[in-house]
Amino acid sequence: MLTNEEILRAKDRALAHLRSIYGDDAETIIADRRYGFISGVLKDVVKKPAIERLAWSDKIDRVIVNRWLGIPIFLAVMYGMFQFTFTLSAPLMDWISAGFDFIAVRAVGISPEWLGSLIGNGIIGGVGTVLTFIPPIFLLFIAIAVLEDSGYMARAAFVMDRLMHKVGLHGRSFIPMILGFGCNIPAIMATRTIENPRDRLITILINPLMSCGARLPIYILLAGAFFPAYRGLVVFSMYLIGIILAILMALIFRKWLLPGPIGHFVMELPPYRLPTITGVLVHMWERGKHFLIKAGTIIAGVVVLVWLLSSMPWGVQYAGPDSWIGHLGRFIAPIFAPCGFGQWQAAVSLFFGFLAKETVVGTMGAIFAVKEGSLGTAIASQLSWTPLVAFAFMVFSLLYVPCVATIATIKAETNSWKWPAFTIGYELALAWIMAALIYQIGSLLGLG
Amino acid sequence: MATKSLAQMRPKERGKITKVGGSGHTHRRILDMGVVPSTEVTVERVAPLGDPIEIKIKGYHLSLRKEEAVQIYVEMIER
Repeated sequence: MLTNEEILRAKDRALAHLRSIYGDDAETIIADRRYGFISGVLKDVVKKPAIERLAWSDKIDRVIVNRWLGIPIFLAVMYGMFQFTFTLSAPLMDWISAGFDFIAVRAVGISPEWLGSLIGNGIIGGVGTVLTFIPPIFLLFIAIAVLEDSGYMARAAFVMDRLMHKVGLHGRSFIPMILGFGCNIPAIMATRTIENPRDRLITILINPLMSCGARLPIYILLAGAFFPAYRGLVVFSMYLIGIILAILMALIFRKWLLPGPIGHFVMELPPYRLPTITGVLVHMWERGKHFLIKAGTIIAGVVVLVWLLSSMPWGVQYAGPDSWIGHLGRFIAPIFAPCGFGQWQAAVSLFFGFLAKETVVGTMGAIFAVKEGSLGTAIASQLSWTPLVAFAFMVFSLLYVPCVATIATIKAETNSWKWPAFTIGYELALAWIMAALIYQIGSLLGLG
Repeated sequence: MATKSLAQMRPKERGKITKVGGSGHTHRRILDMGVVPSTEVTVERVAPLGDPIEIKIKGYHLSLRKEEAVQIYVEMIER
């Protein structure tokens, strides 16, 4: 028997011997011999056609990754993908949620009252929340499958790598970041194309900072009510703040949390191929199924939990000041005082925003018992918010905890509760710090 | 014959690989992809932002960053 040390010494001797003969390291020699063997076999058994195959693929590339057209074409493809996914899914999502509202309203009528509320507000609401995510997720997976199977995905990474490299990310991180503007769930699932685990994890962690579509109703309502003249600019600033913080956090995570080089870019640019319908549908279903099973159970569970907090003790107004969630809101409201919105109504709305960010607006509407049209004025008069407070609240809504479906997706994709917990923690801290900074500095400057 | 690093080559230039330097995971990956000494390589293009580059080797297209290409030495082939 040889000891470990003897084996290692023998290995070093053999390596030195090889180097003295070939003047190269073992890895190179092995690869060299392997390819030598392969080309020898090929020469014996394969007859190549005289003309070069796939010349048309090269011709397509001359346009698609062209020095001048490469980036415009890439942006056009992104825009097309975004439109395909989110424009097509918007009416479908509305129909699904309208359908569930229709059933829920009838279910609430079931007696006894608690059962009606559990079924109507809790279970049907929970299942409905999961199902409304199906259209964007499945459509997006179709789009991604087409891009991957056609060979464009590799070109997209090729075009964007330089830019992403500068902010500490890989070329393949760009597509998930763009998709985050629509919905963070499919965006996080799209990070599967990133090979290096560190690159992928950083891309997942910063993705919720990309302002998803569900946050838009909050901005539209508050910007419309408090900044009527600068509505568009204020909404745009939210997206910009999200992007800047995402880049900043990516650099921070790369430096301190997951230090190490960015994954290599040694990859094949495959010839273009026409995707097959079966291939695309199989890809879509394999990935979509995963979301339905893994994220669906977590989402439905949390929806029922929030229902319970809003309904207990029995007989209170749903999500009213005396419900458990109302008490919870009153308890944590002082934490938000330095940010300018230390009222329980704001805290309860933020709790509901955890389910889905667009419900922040709906919850306020329910609390003030007003329609959405007059909600802005109700917030201004009843909570006496100034434009500065509204801006701080919008920034907080942008940054604080990802919605429960996103958290469930992070859990499913990283296969651990550690990273969703970390995301919640850093985002809450970031949101609070940003909102407090905006409110405090704004107040000092007399903007309050 | 002029020897250059692959990163210094311009589009459409052709050469024969003489040495693949470096170590670690990326080095192994480069070798695994068929970038081994005495193989012919053509630079196809540079990405729109100036990095990475696309090369043609063993009849297929491969992309790699310039920082990954600097350790690959090539003997130029005149056209």
